[in-house]
Amino acid sequence: MPLLQAILDGLMLGGVYAVISIGLTLVFGVISIVNFAQAQFLMVGMYVAYFAWHFLGLDPIFGSVISFIVVFLLGYGVQHLLIRRVLKAPEVAQIFLTVGLLIVLENLALILVGSEFKSVQTWSQNESLEFAGLIISMPYAIAFLASGVAGVMVWWLLAKTWWGRTVRATAQDPMAAKLMGIDPEKIYRMSFGLGVALTAFGGAVILPYLTVSPSVGEQFGVLMFTVVVLGGLGNVLGAVVGGLAVGVIQSLSGLFLPLQLQNMVLFIVFILTLAFRPEGLLRNKS
Amino acid sequence: MRENNPIQTAHIHQEGRRQALKGLSALGLAGVLPLSAMAQPKTVNVGVILPLSGANAQFGINSRQGIELVADEINAAGGLKGLGGAKINLVIADSTSTPNNAATVAQRLIAENECCAILGAFASSLTLAISEVTERRGVPLITMSYSDQLTGRGFKNVFQVTPKGSVIGRAQFNFAAELSGGTSKVNKVAILFEDTAFGTSTAAGLRAAAKDANVEIVMDEAYPLGITDVTPLVNKLRASKAQIVFPVSYLNDSLLIVRALRQQKINIPIVGGSAGYVIPDFAKALGDYADGVLSICSANYDLDTVSTERYRKRFNAFMVHEAVEHAVSLDVLIQSINAAKSAKTEDITRTLRSMTFTEGWAKTMTNGKIKFDESGLNIHAEPVMVQWQKNELATVWPPKFAKAKVISRNV
Repeated sequence: MPLLQAILDGLMLGGVYAVISIGLTLVFGVISIVNFAQAQFLMVGMYVAYFAWHFLGLDPIFGSVISFIVVFLLGYGVQHLLIRRVLKAPEVAQIFLTVGLLIVLENLALILVGSEFKSVQTWSQNESLEFAGLIISMPYAIAFLASGVAGVMVWWLLAKTWWGRTVRATAQDPMAAKLMGIDPEKIYRMSFGLGVALTAFGGAVILPYLTVSPSVGEQFGVLMFTVVVLGGLGNVLGAVVGGLAVGVIQSLSGLFLPLQLQNMVLFIVFILTLAFRPEGLLRNKS
Repeated sequence: MRENNPIQTAHIHQEGRRQALKGLSALGLAGVLPLSAMAQPKTVNVGVILPLSGANAQFGINSRQGIELVADEINAAGGLKGLGGAKINLVIADSTSTPNNAATVAQRLIAENECCAILGAFASSLTLAISEVTERRGVPLITMSYSDQLTGRGFKNVFQVTPKGSVIGRAQFNFAAELSGGTSKVNKVAILFEDTAFGTSTAAGLRAAAKDANVEIVMDEAYPLGITDVTPLVNKLRASKAQIVFPVSYLNDSLLIVRALRQQKINIPIVGGSAGYVIPDFAKALGDYADGVLSICSANYDLDTVSTERYRKRFNAFMVHEAVEHAVSLDVLIQSINAAKSAKTEDITRTLRSMTFTEGWAKTMTNGKIKFDESGLNIHAEPVMVQWQKNELATVWPPKFAKAKVISRNV
């Protein structure tokens, strides 16, 4: 029973990891840039949802839509103003830019909203679902469902729509896409926006069971990279599998080992993946 | 990859600035007056190192407010009496929440800002790092951090106004047992603690007290500071069938733990280990769910409301214990400087060690006075048990300090 409970908890957790990591993997897959500041967009998303709750009384589950829109616009602008300029530059320049962005976002948040931990109060926070002796915490369940819906929508967008086809075409071969009348610059802006907005959305839906502070991204940065590396960088389906796997690994290791070793187990898996299967658990590009 | 701007605000007072301007204009008029002849008021630099960003920022901010309150009041009332009205200049630095930064910042405050003493840094792990620097430089460090190591290493320049972590941990267990009707009524307890210096030393005290009372510890689990998912912890707790849970946490983790307990309808008494369980944000984030939560604490604002209400008036929140204790730290420093009529580090250290402080903010501490022993520990400090009652913290145990009756929570 504890085993089943741990797996269930892990899946709930992993669903959210999946959706925040889809954003990261999307940005890499389409634009071929590793965005080290991705987790800081999660932080921005959490703050937007927090203020939507604070000033408008919106439950973060609805606030997440606002987070999505705001961060989409932010990402759109960042791509246009900053990332675009380093696409052809050496990788080191790209790393410097996104790491710089990370530092700027974190410190901007410190200046603008202060370093206090902020937390919302919602009806779901102290509720749980119970069946057959298993307990699912309500905020986790809601976050999982919301992530599921978002994940399906992204899949539909990329796999079933014309726009998705242009995105995939650009990811495969920007030059050929351009010859077919697709404007890669536009696709890049949209994809970067979508990528960071998804992560921000994930941040908003987990707000009820976490607290937000300018440095909250640090808790998620490494985690997100573990997820996408497990699933294969640039692979959206891989991010889903990776996310769920990471959630379950974390949860299970908490069951068998001291909690302090939770992340160590995760990083051992991370290193092993890099060593033996650097292309990720799933080989195919989606 | 954290931001790194340790010296956040050099606290310059309005009057000080005006005086400095006067001094400047005087210099302009007189042309070539030698520097020493300038009528500049003397100031005494006091270094304040606190975690103003990162995981422990909230505590750093509360602490800073306590210190600012005292400094502003003293300066407004004519400055340091023992030094001819010299003003206190707080040099406030952000240690972030990492010990390395704390040590670097301490170096800078002593070498560049010539601080006569250092106050801080709330979190034991930070204070320990700072104490290595202050000890080497012979600068007094006055702290309210709990770790036993602070005054347990034979250092000559560390002063701990609060009880030690192990004493607090023991009291956390013993008071809880007394409140539940004696150790005979308690068979199984659980200890959860964050794994830095603070949590570890408090947990050691808890463990020892439980062993002495022959109470079984059915769960004894460390978790990393900055934990984002406590579900495995709470699952284990539920399976352990503990009757009382003793979590020792900072803010973020305390919220996660209490929420997870409420979600799973685990209604055993929660007896927190200070820090996260006793600050206004705890109740702000949990609302009614905070009611009834007990915590051990090293001071509480209801012990002497004369001083602490001034804080409430200015900052619009009750004076949380770290604010009280940092106010106390600055006040004993000021009293020592006044008594020694000197701001030299060795004079301050000597006076701190010899004096018994009974005036001013010292009254807010348990027993109303402060006296540091050879190791630098305040021998009059005793822990108290506090409880959330309608968004306020009431001291409920031991009876000699209690201000309110303990309430029980029915969920």
